[in-house]
Amino acid sequence: MPTALSSTDDGIDHGPTPGDRRPGYVAAARRALGDVAILFWFRRQGVRRRHLARVVSLVFLAITLSAAIVPAFLPGARGAGRAFDILLLVPSGMAGILLLNMASAIASGGGRELISRDQASPYPISPTTDHLGALLLAPLNIAWMIQAWILLGSVAYVAPLDKLALAQVIVVLWLVFSTACGQVVAWAMEAIRRGPRGIAITRFLLVALGLGAGAVQLAGRTGPLLDRVPTVWFVVGALSGLTWRWALTAAVLVVGSVVAIAMGAVPAHLAARRMPRDEQRMETDQHEPRPMPRSVLGILIRTDRASVWRSVPMRRGVLVLAVGPGLVALFGNLQWSEMTILPGLVASGGALLFGVNAWCLDGRGALWRENLPTSPTVLFDARTVVLAEFLGVASMITVLVGALRAGIPTSYELAALVATLVVVTLQVVGGSLRWSLKHPYPVDLRSARATPAPPAAMVGYSARLATSTTFTGLLFSGSAHVPDWRLSLIIAIPCLMWSATRLVRTRHRWQDPVVRARVVSTVAA
Amino acid sequence: MSQPPVVDVRSLHVRFGEVEAVAGIDLEAYAGQATALLGRNGAGKSTTMRVLAGVVPPTAGTVTIAGLDIRKDTLAIKQLTGYCPDVGGLVPRATPWEHLQLSARLRRLDGWEERGRDLLERFELGDVMNRVTGGFSHGMGRRLSVVLAAMHQPQVLLLDEPFDGVDPIGVEATFEIIADARARGATILLSTHLRDLAVQACGTALVLRGGSRVAAVDAGEMSGEEGARAYRALLD
Repeated sequence: MPTALSSTDDGIDHGPTPGDRRPGYVAAARRALGDVAILFWFRRQGVRRRHLARVVSLVFLAITLSAAIVPAFLPGARGAGRAFDILLLVPSGMAGILLLNMASAIASGGGRELISRDQASPYPISPTTDHLGALLLAPLNIAWMIQAWILLGSVAYVAPLDKLALAQVIVVLWLVFSTACGQVVAWAMEAIRRGPRGIAITRFLLVALGLGAGAVQLAGRTGPLLDRVPTVWFVVGALSGLTWRWALTAAVLVVGSVVAIAMGAVPAHLAARRMPRDEQRMETDQHEPRPMPRSVLGILIRTDRASVWRSVPMRRGVLVLAVGPGLVALFGNLQWSEMTILPGLVASGGALLFGVNAWCLDGRGALWRENLPTSPTVLFDARTVVLAEFLGVASMITVLVGALRAGIPTSYELAALVATLVVVTLQVVGGSLRWSLKHPYPVDLRSARATPAPPAAMVGYSARLATSTTFTGLLFSGSAHVPDWRLSLIIAIPCLMWSATRLVRTRHRWQDPVVRARVVSTVAA
Repeated sequence: MSQPPVVDVRSLHVRFGEVEAVAGIDLEAYAGQATALLGRNGAGKSTTMRVLAGVVPPTAGTVTIAGLDIRKDTLAIKQLTGYCPDVGGLVPRATPWEHLQLSARLRRLDGWEERGRDLLERFELGDVMNRVTGGFSHGMGRRLSVVLAAMHQPQVLLLDEPFDGVDPIGVEATFEIIADARARGATILLSTHLRDLAVQACGTALVLRGGSRVAAVDAGEMSGEEGARAYRALLD
């Protein structure tokens, strides 16, 4: 330790030395954790309706606690019938959560951003911070929450009452562990995708994975494979009560989670050093001029379509949404009457790619577009058509893929499915455009990780979409069992009228120049 | 002036909730003239331009363009104006040519392609006319915004910060656009922080402060060291 000034020491603090500027791993990790806390606080400050956010948080907490406790007191809990069947499915469910966490994080290019790339650029935010932020935001997603609730509920239904609390601790640790593992895989895939021939390698891996899963299913090996998933070990540990076996299970998950969280930083750094190829390609591609469309609506639709299909998060997202559930339906041998649940799932997911903030498609061009001499209703109609076709096409692909092994539908099954598709699309389009008008956000959808609204708002939107579309899906699933195709039609008519009325009301509100000015000024900010 | 003003703004107020962005601006601009709107950040320049472009409705006051009321004849006014917004102004995933096509179709222009290509070449954007604008630099985006505002040879040209981050060639090309517009009798309103460029491009300068107009002077009075001092005094 120096005790006096050296000949080169002038007593003035010249800032950190190069050594200080390159801290060790532990110091860097500690700093990243601190940065995550700062960024999280910054994002919290931006929440507009604090009271509502608090209420929603309490509701979600109540649902989580209910899912973890209430099933334990339901009839049949811990019995030999349904409870035993559910117990057999818990290990597969845990493995499924791991796979879905991976798929979700891969699709979003490494998970969501605590702060967008452009906003983060002036600050010294490390890829580790980015990785930890994505991890923190992962549960703020209705799909993640529903999986968690189902798993908590299943374990509550099967676990002995005196061992329930400890079992749920293991479930929570599994959720943390699987989310962290999903993040590691997603960053690794992102690093590969951004590397030499990355896009081709990624596509090859995904196709190989899909074909492999298909081969296993077609060979009838899915059941035996699921019986051997290593998650059985964790379920046994979870249900062991306060024993060494439980402690060992918990310790493995804690250590595994810490290791996975730390390991995720490595591919995150690697990915950060490489250019995002998809986005770069999208921004430098040449698009040869096409002939002018004949109508005003035609050119507006064309412009909006380009905004959708030239965006990386939308292309990637819709591919996963359209093909993923379709493959699950295909391999799971879903019947026609059960397929009515798919359009709602896909349409809701599609709306969360841009629909819930539909005017953000124009970005800063919204101001210029608003100066163009055309009726606001034509602009609204164009956006409605493009959103509807985006959701409709994705849903149809899902249904077509899922239907490959479902045989020939009866007239009433087909009517129920078509009615679901039309009703759900209109329902989601109406809701999305209503929210887009009410709560616009300035969002740049360049990055594969971008979302059209802040995380808390996205949770609210996804919960509302999931509730309404699941209800519709179940309604038509019921009508698909009634051997008269006219029933689905009769149910569809009032649903369509209700959604259409709300859509027309939103269209009418869009014509108000004050409302439009607020939306345009916000999305262009 | 013997002729009536093309742009006539009387006691314009614009409020966004609690914030009064424009607090009683009066403004007159005439055919064949370029008028500069000068002032500090938050002076109300861009909001005034947005009102004139029909993007933001006025809260109070009257705004007429070529005798048309901005509240009643918004669509007709949009037909008359060409607007380069202060931020971006470009649809991120459309190409420059697609922007021109959209503008031309909505304005019912015929035979615009040659002028469109010429303008893109003059602003050195010919090479990137088929690339999406999301990957453009700030200066490229600004230059394209000027092209889009000027392409249909509007009766009123509204340029909000057109020189921001633009290289000298882009600045020259913008000067030419303004000169061409003046020559054909258009009215130009130019909002900028760059006093020297405003003085070169415009005949009249309006200085805004805190949402109100504090001076309307001959642009020549704002030039040189003396002009800088006068301008500074108006801002404080």
